[in-house]
Amino acid sequence: MNLLGNFQDQAIYYQTYVKTYYHIFQLPLQLGPLRTIQHLKKYPWLLQLARVKRLLDIVTRGRSGNYRKATASVVEKIVPNLMDILNVLNESPDRLILHEDMVPPEILSAMGLKTWMAELLGILLPIVDSHAVERYIDVAENAGIPSDVCSLPKSTMGIMLNKEVPPVSAIVTSNSPCDGGMSSYQLMKQHLDIPMFQVDVPYNFYNDDATAYFANELKQMIAWLEKNTAGKMDWDRLKEICEERNRMTEYELELWESIRRRPAPLAAEAVFLSHLWCFNVTPGDPNGTQLFKYLVELANDNIQKEIAAVPNETFRSLLWNPPLLHFIDYFSWAEQQYGLTLLIDSMSYNRQPFIDTSSVDNMLKSLAHIIMTGPMARHTRGPAENYFNDMFYMYTYFDLDMILVAGHIGCKNTAALNGILREKCRTKGIPLLIIDYDLSDPRVVTKDGIIQQTDRFMENIMKVRRQ
Amino acid sequence: MDKQFNKPFNFIQESLLETALENGSIPIGYTCNYAPTVLFSAGNLFPYRVNARGVSGTEVADIYLSQVTCSYTRSILEYVMDDRLEFIQGWVFAAGCDHLRRLYDNLQYLITPEFCYILDTPHKCGEHAISWFEQELKKLASLLSKHFQLDINENSVSETIKTYNQLMKNLKTFSDLRKEDPPFSGAEFQRLLSLVWTLPYESTLQLIDNLYDQLHNRKCPIDYRARILLISSVIDQYEWIESIENVGALVVADRFCTGAIPGIKSYPESDNPFNDIARHMLQTNACPRMMDTFDYRISLLLQSIKDFHVDGVIVAPMKFCDIWGVETTLLMSILRENNVPTLRLEREYSPSGEGQLHTRVQAFLEQMKC
Repeated sequence: MNLLGNFQDQAIYYQTYVKTYYHIFQLPLQLGPLRTIQHLKKYPWLLQLARVKRLLDIVTRGRSGNYRKATASVVEKIVPNLMDILNVLNESPDRLILHEDMVPPEILSAMGLKTWMAELLGILLPIVDSHAVERYIDVAENAGIPSDVCSLPKSTMGIMLNKEVPPVSAIVTSNSPCDGGMSSYQLMKQHLDIPMFQVDVPYNFYNDDATAYFANELKQMIAWLEKNTAGKMDWDRLKEICEERNRMTEYELELWESIRRRPAPLAAEAVFLSHLWCFNVTPGDPNGTQLFKYLVELANDNIQKEIAAVPNETFRSLLWNPPLLHFIDYFSWAEQQYGLTLLIDSMSYNRQPFIDTSSVDNMLKSLAHIIMTGPMARHTRGPAENYFNDMFYMYTYFDLDMILVAGHIGCKNTAALNGILREKCRTKGIPLLIIDYDLSDPRVVTKDGIIQQTDRFMENIMKVRRQ
Repeated sequence: MDKQFNKPFNFIQESLLETALENGSIPIGYTCNYAPTVLFSAGNLFPYRVNARGVSGTEVADIYLSQVTCSYTRSILEYVMDDRLEFIQGWVFAAGCDHLRRLYDNLQYLITPEFCYILDTPHKCGEHAISWFEQELKKLASLLSKHFQLDINENSVSETIKTYNQLMKNLKTFSDLRKEDPPFSGAEFQRLLSLVWTLPYESTLQLIDNLYDQLHNRKCPIDYRARILLISSVIDQYEWIESIENVGALVVADRFCTGAIPGIKSYPESDNPFNDIARHMLQTNACPRMMDTFDYRISLLLQSIKDFHVDGVIVAPMKFCDIWGVETTLLMSILRENNVPTLRLEREYSPSGEGQLHTRVQAFLEQMKC
């Protein structure tokens, strides 16, 4: 690396660093010292979230040039959004809705409602601090929740049982992604003592009856929200949000086309974290579209200059299941140690991503389709053929060398397909690594344990040693 | 003769099943109460609630379903891999829970039965869900008709419902005996129910009539200290209930998938049987998989406690079952709020740890001062 390149990389880091802290300090400034102290006491996770700089360290470590710019820009998108979300602490509760991560916020935003994604902390906290949700998991287990339930609903329930959820007036949720997640909401409803609406996602949705059923579920949800909250549906606003989402999707598809090249111009967080945040947390935000446009420009620039995101790209991989939350730097570690490059993941990959905005009915049907074909509904709950067909299609489409499954111990749905998966991969000659671990609890399998499993696989199956 | 009189529930289940098979009856396997058994009771078909009563380990099933799946589904898959369920001529699954859906996937992959269908099952019980489920039921009826060369239509289904309702009516008479001092134990009643769920309706109708006659002057075989409501999912092994009863906890009410509450409720009889089935299944089954029947489930339990003069409740979720695991937490707090002594006993499908079970139940009885 030349000196100029080094200097530019440092500049990217510090530029984002300054922006990040600028946004973080906005919150106490808006709240004032007294309310800040009150909030810190009531919501102790605020202090942990303030360590969001760790995310910047993770995504920029070992990355340079456009790749570093791309991953840093994802953090630049996340932090101000996160501070906006935390502003709900100042909101009056009558417009604040607790929603499950499988119920996307497009409809809620179009109704003028403020949203608090129940699982947001369970996802973000272990990313910024590996051990952050352990105490919430313990709270849930001490309350009687079985230890084998997925740690994401467990930490979400723990936060709620600890009375650390912002004041919300209603809950909207679904039967996804799993029985544990679905059941946890009954407990939350009982404890928060507020009304709840649950949408019912069909199991096998590739037929008109199922689509009609689910589109009707969304209609009922809107009617319920209008009756039980201060929200009113603004269809024009929903159309704007959906159209903005479509524009973002177009750029994402372009990004996917570019990373099919070997070596890939961008990878890892630039692909999966951008999707995870922009499509699940802030769909319809023009800044999301701008981010994806920027990512595409960076990718094209690298292609033109024949620069690989990972200079020593040796193995191209797919990640199945959500990323390893408490070891989110796994991918930068794998890039540096083995040239193992993460190209795409099951959480980002969707088959029918566009929303038909030509009429209200079509818009609802498209949104219904997006939810039903979302990864946790299509893969985690849906028929096994969805799971395997998508996985092997992605393997071929992105010209991959191996499949990496984040084998979260709490995910019974996917664990029960591992036997078939092993046999299918063996038949097709696809190297497969299933990492045994827990999504957000590092006490189950530590970071070192995950590294050991990877080392063994790389040495024994891929026949390489650490670089 | 005297011995037989005292043990009228000692059925030889295998031989009864063999007789049914020899008579040309065709068993259709099902694993969940959301499978519409009246649809596969047409012609020679009869519903067989799949169980793995004699399973000793699940080594092969663990490879496919993993060790974090509930032991009921693993035991069934193990039985399948051991060729112990070869007599089943077709399978009807309900997309009831994560584990059963994956059992279906693995079964399809490993043995690909000639007839194997999974029914999309709503998690709600309102009119739209009923209407959609009705369409799903019609699809299933049409597929069954085609595969088994039958004509499952509204008339034939209505006739089957009548037979089924007669059976349920007789069972209810039997079950209601438990509201006072029952002439049989909870384990014995479960032995009877396990026949009902695995034989043609007509065979069990006859059997219940004969059994009823044998119970005159019979006293409860358990010298009990407390009357218990047992809550769980699938319990195929009556031996587990026997273990509880051996220390003086008589199971008088059974709210589990293979039990009587609310499993023996009759269907409505109207000129729209498919709608009746859909409505009955979604609104009557009290499984925690349903998102909008929580209040019904609680009121059903509280009513059962009252009706059956229950002294204490044992909630026994199966390990790795998320829906029951979380529901149990809620049940425990609600039952305690209602001053109902409650014991939580996590269990596996196959009975194990009898000594530990005795100790826990004995301690529970002592806590209740029984």
